[in-house]
Amino acid sequence: MTSPNDDLAVQTLNLARKFGDLVAVDGVDLNIKQGELFALLGPNGAGKTTTINMLCCLLKPTGGTARIMGHDILKQPYRVKDIIGVSPQETVLSERLNSRENLELIGRIHGVGATELKTRSQELLATMGLGARAKDQVRKFSGGMKRRLNIIMALIHDPQVVFLDEPTLGLDPQARRAIWEYIIRLKKEKTILLTTHYMDEADFLADRIGIMDEGKIVALGTSHELKNNLLEKQTMVIQAQDITEAAIEKVRTKYAEAEVTGDTLVISDKQLGFQEIVGLLHQAGVAVRSAYMKEPTLEDVFLQITGKELRE
Amino acid sequence: MRLLALASRNLKEIYRDPLALGFLLGFPLVFMLLFGAIFSGDTLPEFTVGVIDEDNTMMSQAFVDQALPMVPVLEIATYDDTGTALKDLKFGELKAYIVIPPGFGQQVSSNWQGTKADILLQMTYDESDVMISEQLITIINDVTLAFARVEMPVTVDAKPIHVENQIDYIDFIGPGIIIFGLLILIPTSARTIVRDKEKGMLSRLLTTPTHPLDFILGYSLSNVAITIAQIIIFIFGAWAMGMDIIGNLGLAFLVFFLTGLCSIGIGMVIASLSRSENQAEPLAWLFAMPLAMLSGCWFSIEMMPSYIRTVAYAFPYAHAIDASRGILIRGVGLEAVGADFLFLAGWAVAIFAIGVVLFRRSMRS
Repeated sequence: MTSPNDDLAVQTLNLARKFGDLVAVDGVDLNIKQGELFALLGPNGAGKTTTINMLCCLLKPTGGTARIMGHDILKQPYRVKDIIGVSPQETVLSERLNSRENLELIGRIHGVGATELKTRSQELLATMGLGARAKDQVRKFSGGMKRRLNIIMALIHDPQVVFLDEPTLGLDPQARRAIWEYIIRLKKEKTILLTTHYMDEADFLADRIGIMDEGKIVALGTSHELKNNLLEKQTMVIQAQDITEAAIEKVRTKYAEAEVTGDTLVISDKQLGFQEIVGLLHQAGVAVRSAYMKEPTLEDVFLQITGKELRE
Repeated sequence: MRLLALASRNLKEIYRDPLALGFLLGFPLVFMLLFGAIFSGDTLPEFTVGVIDEDNTMMSQAFVDQALPMVPVLEIATYDDTGTALKDLKFGELKAYIVIPPGFGQQVSSNWQGTKADILLQMTYDESDVMISEQLITIINDVTLAFARVEMPVTVDAKPIHVENQIDYIDFIGPGIIIFGLLILIPTSARTIVRDKEKGMLSRLLTTPTHPLDFILGYSLSNVAITIAQIIIFIFGAWAMGMDIIGNLGLAFLVFFLTGLCSIGIGMVIASLSRSENQAEPLAWLFAMPLAMLSGCWFSIEMMPSYIRTVAYAFPYAHAIDASRGILIRGVGLEAVGADFLFLAGWAVAIFAIGVVLFRRSMRS
């Protein structure tokens, strides 16, 4: 448990939420710096959305609290709501309003002046490629367009802290890419907390990643730190011809695992000697075509820590 | 301003939805057209009604000769004794007969001079046709009331007495249809709120600095705008169909407006108690339909058992119909409908208060 720190954009202090007997969020301590893009990565049901809902004052914690730019979510919920922008997991739009009216509704609620609202909404719609459809009712939009609108609705009032709950859920790769590019651009100006169960999304976007499982933060750090510090084993993949039993046996005397499928040999252990392995195989008469050390992924990290796969 | 932003958004959601709009305005208008067509022009039903004048004063004669024949649906046949009239009623020649008892002229005169006196008429009718006898009672009642309010001529000459208002069926049904249109606001009000709740719009907006009270007032404001439009369209529609507007239109509007507020409030309560549109919709109709039956907009509630009438008058709609019929058809003023007026206003305030409390409670997480 840490003490309150007003320099942080988001600080959770032993934040917890129960639903009956179910513990959805189990004492989370997060410190997100101003201007940081932080990703909460975890499988469905890990407690990511519950955490976000508490941070934007939709849901009361059953334990602990959190502070957004120094404002306590329990004591000053309306101060918090003033300075945050939220893009919920479910796309929620007024279907019979056009995209501009949807944006302006949120803007007007936040008290943005009419002229500023007009320029900002035009700008945001243009950056998201929705400029040409500004006057169409959103019920005629595709899923991807609605999603993009859903995201800029979190930004219309120029908030200090932005929550993006699964911003690319269910989108095709092209639409995901467009949203990623936009988020990268935002990164310099805003503090962003995003949740995702796509490990490549967290990997690509986030400054720091918190891996969440069963209501707890089970690992925290940059993508690089997570992969390198936490993984206890290295893996080497070798493409070769004439892989003999004798050659494999030879490898197995030195390293923990060696598996062959067709022309591919996968070797792993805590520490692998690249040169040594290639040499060993060479001696055994195996013609090595290619060999590389496999880069660990966040998927591997998740598997390592929880013993479960992070399913998409 | 938050409130106006929310209200204008709600209003756009409704008026850009042709189905919702058609339901709100079209549904009651269809009824109005239907009833207007059925009970207008050449196809007016003719009821032969016997009259036995036992009072035999100038006043009662004027009533029989001048006032009653002015009602287009009535064919008047005079009788000397009840025995013959009863026979004709039994043979189906008559739908009903009225006995004007001695003292009728006296009673009407007192009324004319400003002293209130009960006016007594006896009516015997054919029970087998409930709808017609019910209408007849209303018609006779209205024509008598109209007659009793006519200005006293200075001389007691046999001057023709002019009854200003001819009561026909559209006059009777017009206010009822307007009230029915306002009853439809119950499901509409409930639906708009619950839809937003179910689809996550309320949660979405709760992440902004919107207070629960902003929501309630935002919905109410947009529904009030719809109510005003409804009332104007309905009054105009009924007038175009031939409904007389004798009394103060502003007063009638106010009665309808308060009734609309009550409907919005009931809808808000239903929305607070429901989690989804699928729950709210049937619940809303469960209120709206029986209330329509009990309000007297289709059937005169005079005919209903007394305990049903007690229930009917516990809700705003029967009061609204009494008051609006009084104002529109008989031209009475605030002095006659003041009690109904107070009841409606009180009800509107109370149901809004309950709605606000329940809605806030339903928003808690």
